[in-house]
Formats: sequence, C-alpha cells, structure tokens
Amino acid sequence: MKNKILRYQAFVYFLTLTLWKQKVKHTAAVFISILIIFLLSAVLFVSSSLKQTLLHTVKQQGDFTVTRLKAGYATQTPSSWIEQIEQIEGVTALTTRVHGRYFYQPKGKSFLVVGIDFFDEQNSQLLEALIGKMALKSFLSQESMVVGQGVKNFLTAHFYEDTFSFKTPSGAFKEVHIAKQLDESTNLIANDMVIMPIALAREIFGFDENEVSDITFNVPNEAEWDTIITKLHLLFYDVRILDKREIQKGYENMFNYKGGVFLILYLVTLLTFMLILYQRYAMVYSSERKEIGTLRAVGWSIKEILLYKFYENVIIVVVSFTVGVLLAYGYVFLANAPFLKAIFLGNANLSYTVGFTPVLELGLLGSLFLLYAIPFLVAVLIPAWKIAVTPPKEAMQ
Amino acid sequence: MIVIENLYKTYNEERADAYPALKGINLQIEKGSTVILSGVSGSGKSTLLSLIGGLDKPSSGKIMVEERLISKLPDLHASAYRSQTVGMVFQHFNLIESLSVEENIIAALIPLRLPLNKMQKMTQESMELANISHKASQQVNALSGGEKQRCAIARALVNRPNIILCDEPTANLDKANTLKFIEILKTLRQLGKTIVIATHDPIFQALDFIDQTYFIENGSIRSE
Repeated sequence: MKNKILRYQAFVYFLTLTLWKQKVKHTAAVFISILIIFLLSAVLFVSSSLKQTLLHTVKQQGDFTVTRLKAGYATQTPSSWIEQIEQIEGVTALTTRVHGRYFYQPKGKSFLVVGIDFFDEQNSQLLEALIGKMALKSFLSQESMVVGQGVKNFLTAHFYEDTFSFKTPSGAFKEVHIAKQLDESTNLIANDMVIMPIALAREIFGFDENEVSDITFNVPNEAEWDTIITKLHLLFYDVRILDKREIQKGYENMFNYKGGVFLILYLVTLLTFMLILYQRYAMVYSSERKEIGTLRAVGWSIKEILLYKFYENVIIVVVSFTVGVLLAYGYVFLANAPFLKAIFLGNANLSYTVGFTPVLELGLLGSLFLLYAIPFLVAVLIPAWKIAVTPPKEAMQ
Repeated sequence: MIVIENLYKTYNEERADAYPALKGINLQIEKGSTVILSGVSGSGKSTLLSLIGGLDKPSSGKIMVEERLISKLPDLHASAYRSQTVGMVFQHFNLIESLSVEENIIAALIPLRLPLNKMQKMTQESMELANISHKASQQVNALSGGEKQRCAIARALVNRPNIILCDEPTANLDKANTLKFIEILKTLRQLGKTIVIATHDPIFQALDFIDQTYFIENGSIRSE
C-alpha cells in the first residue's frame, strides 16, 4: 500500500504543480463554468424554495375543496351540503370557508378576503401557523382583521392606518379594525390576504347565513380519494371538486415550466461552451498539443496522458462547480435573489418582498453536476486523446 | 548496440502526396560509440533519429536496440523504451515553458513511478551533469537558448539512459554555447553512453572523439 502511494506521489505532485503554474490557461474555462453553474443553481434554488413553500402550504390545506357550480361558474355553496358530505365514510375535518377578491376600485388593486371560523379546530391550526399566537378574545371583541404585509403597506400608503372601510353589496360601508400584520415569511402565500371572522366576510360579500364559498375536508385514506369523488358526484349534480393533487400539480407545473425554460437556455449555453472548449483543445490551442507531445516523447504512455488530463479537468470541474453552487446559494438565500426573483414571481397585485427558505435538493444538484462534468470532460479528453495517439514527433511540431 | 536493417519511412503513405523520407537504411552503431548523422535539411536524418528514439514508427524494416525490436512496439512498451532506454535532445528543446528547469526534468521521471525524493535526487544529479543546477527554480521561458539546451540535456540524462539522441543540437546556439555542448558530449562519452547526433553543423566533423559519420542524402546513406 505504502509503495502504491509512493508511486502516485510524484504524479499527484506534478498534477497539482502544473495546475497551479498553468492557472492562467484554465482561468477562462473556470470562469465561464462558474458563471453557468451559478446561473442554473440559482434558478434551481429559487424554484425549489418556492415549490417547497407552496407545497408546504398545500399540505396544510384540506384534501378536498367542494364548490357549487351554476351553469359552469362557481357560486355560493349551501352550508347544508356539509351534513350530506359528513355521511360519506372516511371523510374527516369538514370545514366551511368564505373567501373572495375584494376590489379596491380607485387604485385597481384587490385583496384576498378570507373569512374563517376561529373556533374550528382545523382552522385554528392553520391560523396558528400563519398568525402565531394571538389574543383571540380581544380580536373577536371588535370587528377586526389580520392583513398580509402587501395589504398593510398599501393601506398605510393610502392613509388607512388602523381601520379600513369595505363597501358591501348594499352600498353601505363596513369599517374593520386592522388588528395585526402577518409576518414577512408568509408573503409568498399571504401578501395580499385579509383574514377575518367568517360572519364579517359574509357581510362584506353579501352572503346569506346559510351560504359559504366552499367546503373543505380530509380523506386520510388516499386510496379512497377517487371513490369519494364518485360519491360526491352522485350526491350533487352541480359540484366542482378540487383535490390536493391537482393544486400540487398546478404549482409544480408553474415552477417546472419556468425552470424548464432556464434548463433549455442552460443546455444551449453548455453546448456552445463545450464546443468552444473542444475546439480550443482540438485545434487552436497549440501549446496544449506541444505539451502532450513533449510528455509522450519523454516516456509518458497514452494512458498516463489521459489520466493526467482527466484528473486535471476533474479538479477544474469540481472547483468550478463548488464555487458556482456556493455563489448561487449566497445569491438566493442570503441576498434574496435580486433580478431572478422578479422573473419567477412576476408582477404582483400588491408589491411584496419574499424570503427564500433554504432548500438543497441533492439529487438535482447531483444531476446538474453530471450534466456539466460529463460533457466538460468529454470535450477535453477526446482532443487530448487524439493528440496523445498521434506520434510524439508530429504532436510536438 | 543499435542495428538498423532495410528501414523505410514514407509520410502520407496512403495518399497521393506520399513522401518517402527514408529508403532502405542499413547501419550498425556500436555500444558506447559517438555517431554523427550528417546531411542537408530534409535529407531524412531527423526522421531516422526519431525512429531510433521510438517517437514514430517505420513503414517497413527493423530497428533493434540492445537486442530488442523497437520498430513495432505497442504504445505501452514504446513509452517504457523512451522513458528508460533513450534520452532525446531536440532542436527546439521542447520544454514546457510554464514550468521551471527542475520541474521539466522531473516530468521525464513520472512514468518511472519512483518515490518523489528519489526523483528529486536524480534531477539534481542530472542538472549538475548538464551544468544547469544554478537555474533549477528558474522558469524555462526566462532562460537563454544555451540554458534551455542544457535543461533539455539534463532532462535527456535524468533517467540514466544508455543512448542519447540529439537532433540538430547546435542549430539554435551561438558559438560559445556550441562549445559548451561539445564539452558535455565528451563527458557523456566518458560515461559510456551511446550518442547519435543528427546535424548539418560542420563543427562536428572536426571533433576527435567521433567514431563514425554517416552522410544521408535523399533518405539513403551515401557511400563515402
């Protein structure tokens, strides 16, 4: 074992020595590699983080959402449906919701008003995750609401410091006290959200007491989900059923689509870079050719040349990849991804700041590494091999 | 001993522009002798030298070095032959410009897979023999022509080969450096090395330690 180490000691010494001494030669390749890896890793980090946050939110929602349809459009759902749904075996945690978009006509902006039964166990868990601990008694003692950061900023900018007056369908104004502002970490899902007691929301949207926007419930046995859908269709002829899988798929598609566009751009860039690299080593870079020819002339075998070039470029690949990923990590999770965030989140109804939750998808990073390392090594090793197999005399010329 | 029998080398063999560089060369070089291959540029002397050095393969014919047929060696054996049996000094030195003198010489020892400290010791010895040890850490691209050549000589000697092949060794040297090179040749001859020099420099004709001169013309040895 010791002999084997000693045999490779000089090889490793020579490898690191040439890498260090010829660092200028590798600078361009390392720099471009870092840039490509940085861009793609940043895109992956942003999309993974957003996906995870949204999927986490989806997980906390009910498995099914049921809404009444009238000639194809969603309308108020009778709260009496809850009793019929309750009869279906396997259904748990039934709850009603009142929600809708409230348009603030003068500025063309809208808030998502969500009316919640604060005494419902399922809602209280969801609320606690969103709002944290809150003095419920004082909150309910007056007509109050909790608002997202975007709503709060918007209202403050328009001189609604403590209260806001909603216009009801009857034309009357309903003044509601702003009790609390949601934390910045909830901005991705709740920036434009207004949470208030269900009765208050009913009043603002003009719902009757026996009407809700939708009914949500859980079915713990996922194998039964399709059966439940069939049963619901048998119960109600005018129902729209949305299950969690569809919402999840919708979110995934949204970010996969954006990530996919970047992936195509990345592949095109990578291909161009590899072609440049191949050309550089194959034709243009005569000193590379001369160096290989010289090493061959002094006794290096083809295998030794290829091993030398392989390890040299593996080091370049690993260093570039690590630096690129670390820079991307800092850019997304420490600097909050300026520029890239706007591409992913687009123009929001109300302006907002989003913090990205650090997510490291090792499988994805591994794939990215292979997608970069294999073409890189191929682009360098094929020309190196071509030079190595030509007679040393020819290669040195 | 080097024995060459009926050696042919044609460049671009399969193409219309095929060029016969060597045509039926036969010669014998005794062990420990110093031999000159003389001729004008393009006569084929460098081609013959590179075939003896295992840098290229002949089109036909035989090259026996120390009773070993080297004209048809597979790559691994040809590389071992180059790293253990011969040392070559090239006209344009063929050094790696970004490395120092010492590092260029060590490069020739890597295929031998010796411990690093042993390699460093061998490098030091060969640098002293070639009178370049004072420039050991100097980067090659900062050396003069004569220093580069002494570095190339040290590299050729470092693996302690029995055969030294020199291709136009004085073509890029001034008179003073040429004389220094001749002094090194004398030392190598005293060490019992077989030396083959391909050159058209007339200075070698007048040297008293040359055992034989072969004149090459149009790829054949001219009978004197």
